Amino acid sequence: MLKKDLILRNPLRLIEHETEDILPEGGFGAVLSRAGIGKTAFIVQLALNNILRDKNVLHISLADPVNKVSLWYEETLRNIALLYDIKPIDKLYEAILAHRLIMTFQVGGFSVPKLAERLSDITEQNIFRPQMMLIDGLPFDDTTYDSLSELKVFAKQHGLHVWVTIRTHRHENESPDGLPLQFTGVSDLFEVAIQLQPEGEQIHVNLLKGKSIATSNTQFFLDPATMLIKDSM
Amino acid sequence: MKKQIELIRNIGISAHIDSGKTTLTERILYYTNRIHAIHDVKGKDGVGATMDSMELEKERGITIASAATFCKWKNHEINIIDTPGHVDFTIEVERSLRVLDGGILVLCSVGGVQSQSMTVDQQMKRYKVPCVAFINKCDRSGANPSRVIQQLREKLGHNAIPVQIPIGLEANFIGVIDLISMKAIYFDGDNGEKVRIEKIPAELMAQAEETREKLVDAASIFSDELTEAILEEKEISEPLLISAIRTGTLTRKMTPVFMGSAYKNKGIQPLLDAVTAYLPCPMDVENLALDMDNDEKPVILSYGEKDPVVALAFKLEDGAYGQLTYIRLYQGTLAKGDTIINIRSGRKIKVGRLARMHANQMEEIESIPPGFIGALFGVDCASGDTFVSPGLNLTMTSMYVPEPVISLAIVPKDNKAQINMSKALNRFTKEDPTFKTHVNEETMETIISGMGELHLEVYIERMRREYNAEVTTGKPRVAYRETITQMAEFNYIHKKQTGGSGQYGRVAGYIEPISDQEFVFENKVVGASIPTQYIAACEKGFKNCLQKGPRMGFPVTGIKVVLNDGSSHAVDSSDMAFQAAARGGFLEGYRKAKPVILEPIMKVVVEAPTEFQGGAMGSLNQRRGMIVGSQDEGHMCSIEAHVPLAEMFGYSTVLRSLTQGKAQFTMEFSSYKPVPKNVEEDLIKKVAEGKKHVA
Repeated sequence: MLKKDLILRNPLRLIEHETEDILPEGGFGAVLSRAGIGKTAFIVQLALNNILRDKNVLHISLADPVNKVSLWYEETLRNIALLYDIKPIDKLYEAILAHRLIMTFQVGGFSVPKLAERLSDITEQNIFRPQMMLIDGLPFDDTTYDSLSELKVFAKQHGLHVWVTIRTHRHENESPDGLPLQFTGVSDLFEVAIQLQPEGEQIHVNLLKGKSIATSNTQFFLDPATMLIKDSM
Repeated sequence: MKKQIELIRNIGISAHIDSGKTTLTERILYYTNRIHAIHDVKGKDGVGATMDSMELEKERGITIASAATFCKWKNHEINIIDTPGHVDFTIEVERSLRVLDGGILVLCSVGGVQSQSMTVDQQMKRYKVPCVAFINKCDRSGANPSRVIQQLREKLGHNAIPVQIPIGLEANFIGVIDLISMKAIYFDGDNGEKVRIEKIPAELMAQAEETREKLVDAASIFSDELTEAILEEKEISEPLLISAIRTGTLTRKMTPVFMGSAYKNKGIQPLLDAVTAYLPCPMDVENLALDMDNDEKPVILSYGEKDPVVALAFKLEDGAYGQLTYIRLYQGTLAKGDTIINIRSGRKIKVGRLARMHANQMEEIESIPPGFIGALFGVDCASGDTFVSPGLNLTMTSMYVPEPVISLAIVPKDNKAQINMSKALNRFTKEDPTFKTHVNEETMETIISGMGELHLEVYIERMRREYNAEVTTGKPRVAYRETITQMAEFNYIHKKQTGGSGQYGRVAGYIEPISDQEFVFENKVVGASIPTQYIAACEKGFKNCLQKGPRMGFPVTGIKVVLNDGSSHAVDSSDMAFQAAARGGFLEGYRKAKPVILEPIMKVVVEAPTEFQGGAMGSLNQRRGMIVGSQDEGHMCSIEAHVPLAEMFGYSTVLRSLTQGKAQFTMEFSSYKPVPKNVEEDLIKKVAEGKKHVA
């Protein structure tokens, strides 16, 4: 009953349709912003939205250790629960743990074959079968396109919905089509791209690519205090 | 023994298992001329390290009890507590940290920040112990000090700043560059005892200058004078830089990092210099005691030599010299013939012999000055007791003691063993607050409980060796608990009329689960439907029910009882009757409140080479473990999981065979969680069988 409450009331439903994911199976979504704006907070909310609907999420971090990633989940969930006055939070967190697995890699040590190997380690033994995969902290350079294409094949094979965070830089100009430079080279691999854009004291959630989020033309924001998604300031 | 308190250092050496703490201590003792030959842990000469004086320690190559020892380095007196690294002996680590002023955090240059390093770091944080870091084993293949520094920053949140850089690494590791004096330091002689200072090799100059710049920059935050010197582009003097780093270290806002290889005798002397330069003397640390006469108000201790004595007993030892009590003086001077009072028992004690200990060798002394660590002879006390001069009523803050999670039945082989066993148990429970013992009334077995399998194993082994008490042990048992999951009402009448005066009492109210406390009783009775004098009896009746839960006989926790109605009889009501009514009410409510069995869940961290990651994860999964995550650290990985303690028995053997002995794991108590239904059914069967057996 607790979980249902949250599903109905949590702000994430605003972004993803309740019954339908924005991404198709094997689809890629990108979350773009400059450092420190809230990419991780955003994908953690996407993950929680899926976990609450009993879907398994594999969170891959190339930047933070397991403890820190766990903390993101704990904090985000606490903020959501506080916002909607849902108690007791610890039981809810327990329920979530079973649907989430965190894997961290060193930036240089991450590759698709390695990921495939790790994943088969856990799926063959029936330890965990992810339906959604988040990749946080992947550096974007000349070789990224190849590894992302490889990943795309992998995601299709396993029916995974994949979200990737992309860090953009303030000093770089956008490409002619209005997309951040890091993204232009790989944009054809992505079905959806969302940009977090700070403007004044607000963080706007802008859709750069993909079908419209939710049904109306609602503008979404990230609350700078709690980093939660909301539809009005 | 005239001592200047500024020249005293009480330090501890904390680290992950097998990071080389004991080897490091051994080298420190050698260079400070406390010992004249080096023996290694599990050394081929069979002598064993000096600090590991217990036979068992030498055999297993682990340090079990923390032995206190002292040494001299360049006019400074350094008291060292060698702390055990295994998590089962956490209480020893915590206790040592309580009496220390500073610490050396030893890290392996290959393993880096491992799970146990995190635990000891947490403990250091809790007691606000300033520390310097020492990256050991720089000679090993795969050594990477800069990665370890990165981990210190990321995983432990230290502002770790290197004060040295290595000259060569792995097999080519030959010395270090000191970034403060900007000199290269080499270690010559058979045991590295000759320190040779030379110019920095040209090829390392650029790196040294760059790293020094970062060091100066980081240190400048703690000294205006240094900042000024930088801005005015003046020469930065060594004392100025050292004093800035010291300020940063003492406030725990900076952790200077040193490196070397204890086993290869490299980098130890500069580390000793660092201990004297950066770690606090007792005066630099504010120590508080609680005033018992004044509502436990904190009192700052003075460290005055002439002030009344305040001392803390932090360790007991029963050795070749009889009973020894290790104490730390916080205030005043303790001399032979003085009278002191044990605050806990109120007993007066006349100080007989005083000694300073050097592992298992003893040196008699006349007095212990403030800030010092020493030992008393033949004093009857428990560890954690406070001693003061007559007239004072202060107690040192109590130490955090976790509840035991595992228990074991032990049966002495014969009558002689029985006597020795009780002697041993008496001693151990005094020494170690996490080790407890009791007699099970049903089975009449002696039960010992502690923090893990190894913890109990070590005590059984010590019983056999030190007390000649042969015991057989049963299977380890997990400390299950019971609790309720929902609110339920009760309304119970206890009525008995069997001749003579009868018994009557009615209690009504509800019970509900609470998460942060074991038991809460709330009296909401209005209009004296239960006379006030019987309320205490009701509370006692409820409380008695907690010892043995109605569901399976395990202790009940996390329950709140609210009493809001009842009735009494002018003649037949009594304390007894209301206690019985409360018992009845509790049982009635408990059945309706969906009771569950709770089991201790451990946080397990397995560290293994990456090729064994799948296998290790599988083994945890098979044990009902929930895997939180896996962390890739180059050729090693660490897997964190939450696993029920009941499933972890014998895991070390399983893990060893699974990974060709290349993996290790640490385990600590995390929380109590409900047992799954199928496991609960098995448990019920087992408990029933146990009862039959007793009958």
